[in-house]
Amino acid sequence: MASLLQPDRVLYLVHGEKKIRSSLSTLYFCRYCSELRSLECVSHEVDSHYCPSCLENMPSAEAKLKKNRCANCFDCPCCMHTLSTRATNIPAPLPDDPSKTAMKKAYYLACGFCRWTSRDVGMADKSVASGGWQEPDNPHTQRINKLIEYYQQLAQREKLERDRKKLARRRPYMPLAFSQHTIHVVEKYGLGTRLQRQRPGAPITSLAGLSLKEGEDQKEINIEPAQALDEVEPLPEDYYTRPINLPEVTSLRQRLLQPDFQPAGASQLHPKHKHLLIKRSLRCRKCEHNLMLYYFSVRIMSIPNLRFQKECQVLLTLTNPVESITHVTLVGCEEGDPEDINSTAKVMVPTKELVLAGKDAAADYDELAEPQDFQDDPDVVAFRKSNKIGFFIKVVPQREEDGDVTVSFKIRHDFRNLAAPIRPSEEDDAPTEAIWLTHHVELSLGPLVA
Amino acid sequence: FACPSAPGGANIAAGAVVCVESEIRGDVTIGPRTVVHPKARIIAEAGPIIIGEGNLIEEQALIINSYPENIMPDTEGVEPKTMTIGINNVFEVGCVSQALKIGDNNVIESKADLGKNVILTSGCIVGACCQVNTCEVIPENTVIYGSNCMRRVQTERPQPQTLQLDFLMKILPNYHHMKKTVKGTSTPVRN
Repeated sequence: MASLLQPDRVLYLVHGEKKIRSSLSTLYFCRYCSELRSLECVSHEVDSHYCPSCLENMPSAEAKLKKNRCANCFDCPCCMHTLSTRATNIPAPLPDDPSKTAMKKAYYLACGFCRWTSRDVGMADKSVASGGWQEPDNPHTQRINKLIEYYQQLAQREKLERDRKKLARRRPYMPLAFSQHTIHVVEKYGLGTRLQRQRPGAPITSLAGLSLKEGEDQKEINIEPAQALDEVEPLPEDYYTRPINLPEVTSLRQRLLQPDFQPAGASQLHPKHKHLLIKRSLRCRKCEHNLMLYYFSVRIMSIPNLRFQKECQVLLTLTNPVESITHVTLVGCEEGDPEDINSTAKVMVPTKELVLAGKDAAADYDELAEPQDFQDDPDVVAFRKSNKIGFFIKVVPQREEDGDVTVSFKIRHDFRNLAAPIRPSEEDDAPTEAIWLTHHVELSLGPLVA
Repeated sequence: FACPSAPGGANIAAGAVVCVESEIRGDVTIGPRTVVHPKARIIAEAGPIIIGEGNLIEEQALIINSYPENIMPDTEGVEPKTMTIGINNVFEVGCVSQALKIGDNNVIESKADLGKNVILTSGCIVGACCQVNTCEVIPENTVIYGSNCMRRVQTERPQPQTLQLDFLMKILPNYHHMKKTVKGTSTPVRN
């Protein structure tokens, strides 16, 4: 089993486009193809957005509107930790009677890690616990919005042009479907860089030569081109002689996390709303179904013994996560097996079939349960504990090199796909039909002891 | 609290709450309103330690006035250096402090490690697990945080933990035996 500190001791081979060997905790299982999949043979999709600190789920449209930021949570501009709201009591004059003062709660933001507070940048304490904090406005927002609108309109025009051309001419040198290209153009607000993706042979549409389609009366948005200035603001006179106040200088990371302002001084670092994270949904590329997080029948846990250049016994554990009995057979790799490239030792696996009891959730609590009677060969099976079994394999390290001793074999077990839909086409299809799955496993047993 | 300290004994002022399970060795003076939790260790090996008032020394904190590494304990002619700790400091759980001079209102967070040559002024916060063993005076209101011991200056000093101190001074005697104080009436020991 993969643990946090030793993730790569037991590797499974995945038959994808590339042969990938990785540990079971990073693999997924497709119930429909009945195969293991790794992250590389799987297509990702954005499922939902959520905030990592308040765990609020947001639909994608709302997330786009809020620029993928959470409305309630803030990040410390200094150390990027999550900010927490703290309250103090301050005496404030009562609104009815200015001569008396009462204790009112004032809230400020503080970081638990670097002790930054909102008072450090001069943000006044607010009287409401949440919702009172505003991000400072970008002075260039208006210009940017206008530019975006203009280019959006431009992209739309281009799309219409292309549609028109495609329908009108149907030349063979325009192989790409228009939708794939122009959707990108429109959805990403058609920045001017899309013009670079002109296919060879297609005419370059110039900005000035666009004409509106009949029937459309879009408002013409004109933008002023950016003006180049001759005179720049001069540097202050003591720029070279003034000693640096190091705590006041922001680091590059702090500066670039706020691309609107990029403040050079720490007293202008304002907190930003927290970025949302994405929950991915993974799809099997072959059958286009959603994948489960690995739902696999057996796992191997390795507890190796001392190893010499001689034969030694290694104790492995198999755990059965399903509730039914599973039968497991281990087969050593044959000579010349194309998948067996990494092993540095010969392995003798038990030839008999191992039977694993099902997982019984109530077994811990049920004291009267009779232990199931499996006839276990004591040479093979070391122990048996509810749905776990420990067994021995014999390993003879073949090479006397410095690396780890690796051993590979195939494991074959039966798998009942309880979640697959019952196919109505087959007549006598038992709903819990067992399929036999074979996986190629590699174990890394550690270095040789000389 | 400037009373002559008996050599080899702890000199605990009245009003200080020092649990019996804490280990105090050597010549240590503790001011009033200071709370020393059980399992805290204050060891004055190479010289006396004077702790001011209003300090909070939590469990497994280690304040030690030790010999410099290259000097054997038996060497003659080594002057005992006094370690001074000011008021309203907080030594959180598991921290180690060998700094010879600590000012006021500092917070030394959990598992922080202060070396012998550091001098803390006032209002400094040494973050959790930060090791500070440079030979320097840390300026006021500095915050040391992060795995790389980044620093920044904060605009206000950390607040003195008066609420916490009051609470502890009421509650700790209910559950622990206290060491005897020197002046005035000793804190009654309850079972």
